[in-house]
Amino acid sequence: MAPRTGGYLRCVAMFRLQGSKVLAVDMTGDAVKAKNGSMVAYDGQMAFKKMSGGGEGLRGMVTRRLTGEQMTVMEVKGHGTCWFADRASEINLVSLQGDKLYVESSNLLATDAGLRTGTSFTGMRGASQGNGLFTTTVEGHGQAAIMSDGPAVVLRVSAQYPLTVDPGAYVAHQGNLRQSFQSGVTFRTLMGEGGGEAFQIRFEGDGLVYVQPSERNTIAGDV
Amino acid sequence: MSHYPGAGPTVFDPMTLPSDDNVNAYTFCVELKGSQWFLQKGKMIAYYGQMDFNGVGHGRLDRLVRTSFHSPLHASDWVVAEGSGKMLLADRAFDVNSYDLEDGNLTIRSGNLLAFQPSLALKQSIVPGFLTLIGTGKFVAASNGPVVFMEPPIRVDPQALVGWADCPSPCHHYDHGYMTGVMGGLRALTGLGGASGEEHQFEFVGAGTVLLQSTETLMAEQATGVVPSGVGVPGAGGTHTSPSQTAGTQRLPGQLGDLQRRFGL
Repeated sequence: MAPRTGGYLRCVAMFRLQGSKVLAVDMTGDAVKAKNGSMVAYDGQMAFKKMSGGGEGLRGMVTRRLTGEQMTVMEVKGHGTCWFADRASEINLVSLQGDKLYVESSNLLATDAGLRTGTSFTGMRGASQGNGLFTTTVEGHGQAAIMSDGPAVVLRVSAQYPLTVDPGAYVAHQGNLRQSFQSGVTFRTLMGEGGGEAFQIRFEGDGLVYVQPSERNTIAGDV
Repeated sequence: MSHYPGAGPTVFDPMTLPSDDNVNAYTFCVELKGSQWFLQKGKMIAYYGQMDFNGVGHGRLDRLVRTSFHSPLHASDWVVAEGSGKMLLADRAFDVNSYDLEDGNLTIRSGNLLAFQPSLALKQSIVPGFLTLIGTGKFVAASNGPVVFMEPPIRVDPQALVGWADCPSPCHHYDHGYMTGVMGGLRALTGLGGASGEEHQFEFVGAGTVLLQSTETLMAEQATGVVPSGVGVPGAGGTHTSPSQTAGTQRLPGQLGDLQRRFGL
């Protein structure tokens, strides 16, 4: 139960983890955006409203439809506590202080209603993950909850310590990071003698990267 | 190490990451200082520093492979990481643990082994589907649920067995009294009258340690490669199947199979 510092938003929903697979949000008349259908229980008074197009308006709706980064989101508003969970995935809390979180829409569980969500182009990283070329961004001040297969490890990237990540294990990143895509495909890969890590994403700059202790099935895992 | 529920997740950087130890129950951190590690393909999830991953067939690694890798046809599943930095290993969100061997030996189910130091020699076990590590050094293994260490004499469920160290006598054990005869066969076939599913066990005696995982969900088997065919080599050739096995479909390890027939039904 991390006490929130600073009062940058009127009354903010309080995110806390109950165990590692259930997210509890305490609300006092404010709202959170959560993945559609992820509510498992609530007490108090809650209203659930489906938001089309991720609650980003008509433009967001069209963008999401076009980019394939679809997200069905509901807005939960009320007084009391609401519990969220999805397929027993591990949940990780991220607090944002004006910076931007990049996360796959499938890994995003809930965000504070005060956070803006959008889509952005990821290029080759998305392609190598098999998640499409676009990713979801979350921006503003507040908390978000992201999901991972197994508890995510949070790794800091700084100027002297760049980080290289397997695309299949990448979950999210935040902060001011540049990412470059590395391919180690050589003639040996074609002969079945590859290093198994032919595709990698390198992060440079300053920020945090979330990786999960499991790899999605990507083409990179096989070569 | 994970701080749940609490003051936010722990953030790691190369300074705070452990060296050759677990980051959490599911992630292991290996520190390379110009040294090498063998790891199963695709189990690296992230690294700091400068590292190269080369298939075991890479010419430059010939000498290393000769001394510490004796699973020739299994080679395409393994890579050698070398360089300097810290590397995180994980496997499908299973529990991972490191084990130290001191001039010892350990046999492990092939799908469970994740990585090992080249000071250990990896060999195919005579028991099909298992690999043996011999020497001194550290290795990392995954298991479905935390690993339990047991002392022989012990009988274990086939699905829960991860491996064993120093035990010279892994063998099968059947509850004959429960399985023989007409009633036993009926029980095994129909489940009526209580087939417990535990009529068949692995038995270990002698001095050593048996490693068990705390679920009976097997991890996907890694091919250990085919052993050279020859008389007296168990599992050799792949064409070696007894008539009873060719009749049915491929059986999973640990299944009862055609025991009813063998016990007179």
